[in-house]
Amino acid sequence: MLGSVLLKGLHDLRRGFAWWSLGLAGLVAMMVSVYPTVRDSPELNRLVEDYPEALKAFIAFGGSVDYVSGPGYLGSELYSFMVPLLFIVCAVGNGAGAIAGEEESGTLDLLLAHPIARRRLAVEKLGAMALQLVGLGTVLWLALVVGSAIVGMGVSAVNLAAATAGAALLALAFGAIAFMVGAATGHRALAIGLATAAAVAAYLVNSLAALVHLLHGPQKFSPFYHYAAADPLRQGFALDHSLVPIAIAVVAAVAGVLLFERRDVA
Amino acid sequence: MPRPWQRRIVAAMSGPVVHAELLTKRYHGDRGVHELTFEVGWGEVFGYLGPNGAGKTTTIRLLLDLIRPTAGRVEVFGLDPRRDALAIRRRVGYLPGDLRLYERLTGREQLRYFASLRGMDGLGEGLRLAGRLELDLDRRIRALSKGNRQKVGLVQAFMHRPDLLVLDEPTSGLDPLVQQVFHELVAETTGAGRTVFVSSHVLSEVQRIADRVAVLREGRLELVESVETLRARAFTRVEAGFAAAPPAGAFDGLPGVRELERRGTTVLFALEGPADPLVKSLARFEVLAIDVHEADLEDLVLALYRGAGPRAR
Repeated sequence: MLGSVLLKGLHDLRRGFAWWSLGLAGLVAMMVSVYPTVRDSPELNRLVEDYPEALKAFIAFGGSVDYVSGPGYLGSELYSFMVPLLFIVCAVGNGAGAIAGEEESGTLDLLLAHPIARRRLAVEKLGAMALQLVGLGTVLWLALVVGSAIVGMGVSAVNLAAATAGAALLALAFGAIAFMVGAATGHRALAIGLATAAAVAAYLVNSLAALVHLLHGPQKFSPFYHYAAADPLRQGFALDHSLVPIAIAVVAAVAGVLLFERRDVA
Repeated sequence: MPRPWQRRIVAAMSGPVVHAELLTKRYHGDRGVHELTFEVGWGEVFGYLGPNGAGKTTTIRLLLDLIRPTAGRVEVFGLDPRRDALAIRRRVGYLPGDLRLYERLTGREQLRYFASLRGMDGLGEGLRLAGRLELDLDRRIRALSKGNRQKVGLVQAFMHRPDLLVLDEPTSGLDPLVQQVFHELVAETTGAGRTVFVSSHVLSEVQRIADRVAVLREGRLELVESVETLRARAFTRVEAGFAAAPPAGAFDGLPGVRELERRGTTVLFALEGPADPLVKSLARFEVLAIDVHEADLEDLVLALYRGAGPRAR
């Protein structure tokens, strides 16, 4: 269980993982159990149609706002905000702690006195963060596959997987930013702060672009845009919309590793 | 323990274990270490002394590539700490001054993790060492006292039989019996021709085990000397009580004599070499009492800490 930095990383995350899984499953159970009531209230859709555009932009998840269909309901209630929020919180916490956590708790010194290259250490820590996301995604996906089948939501398991993967990639991008700041500075709080700020900014740029014409250009760089624009609950996985979050994650991860290799450890 | 000539042969065969040349790490202000030049040979115990904040830990962290020098260079086993980091660290055992372990793991899990990072199958010497130190490996780190944590630190540093042990204030928190075991471990290590670099802020901790000591003050080496030579150089303290305080400067310029301290009519002198000049000079005043303390290495080192001792060349 403690054979490598990666395994040790997963070992450290397992307690948190259990709670996260429980929380996600509970959230899914709650949302799914409410769905039959929503489905039987088509007037909800008419209500939403009268919402201002700005508000619709905030709750929409790919395409138009539609509460009554299975994909529409899951998109608006779970995937447009809650799921990415939870995934990002988890990934940013893990990413920030990857290097900076050990550094602040003082264990990094002794760890780095062992024959493990800084690059390898950083990559394995990143791997643990990514695997944690894969794990959470799997838990969410399983809960939704079961839940949607029970209440008949008409969402395919493949599309649920695509939407979940999209949320995980989105979280991976901000987790990697947190990792980068933590690895470069050794300050966990700073890493969480900057990555959170980046996520909020990216979210707002995407949501406000419906109102502010000026933001149409920057919107295309927001991973939130690509996450929603792929409309995965209806269209399935879209590689082209995955490129922006993947690129952000890769650039941030590489930058973090290089900066970590070059600096003094506190 | 090998004889000194045996050690010299080993050293001549393979070069120094640590070689620092004008090694400098500058921080804001005048902090850090400046132009350190020293060598540590095979099979020796090198005591690295200095008051807290003198730069001992900074030096150690430079050796381990945790921080990088501003100028100068250091080699360990003739290798560059940065380029050959892994080759060096495979052969080094390190005990940090501020030892932090994984609170949630047991001692055994902690050691197993480190052992696996070293590519070891089991715990190597770890179990035997833990037994000698009477360390319970099945308790969680967070439940261990400072002394017991330090034992975990010692075990992980020694368990892979490293060629070089870098120990930062290793005996802090250890009770005397455990210190005894520690001294045995060090003797066994050097007996096998391996090297120990040990830092401390008090000489007495390393005096018994060190072959040579370096004294660091405010980031600069004051002295690098064998303990033997140091003993020969240590000064005698002479305390003279006068009927009336002699005028200031009355004892200036006497060869081998330094005035250390005045307390009312009592004057404390440091004496190196023959006593004659001091005795003759004292005779000019009415001396009520005279007290001579044996040469004390600790005093010499403390004087170096204050910047009052003989400078290294």
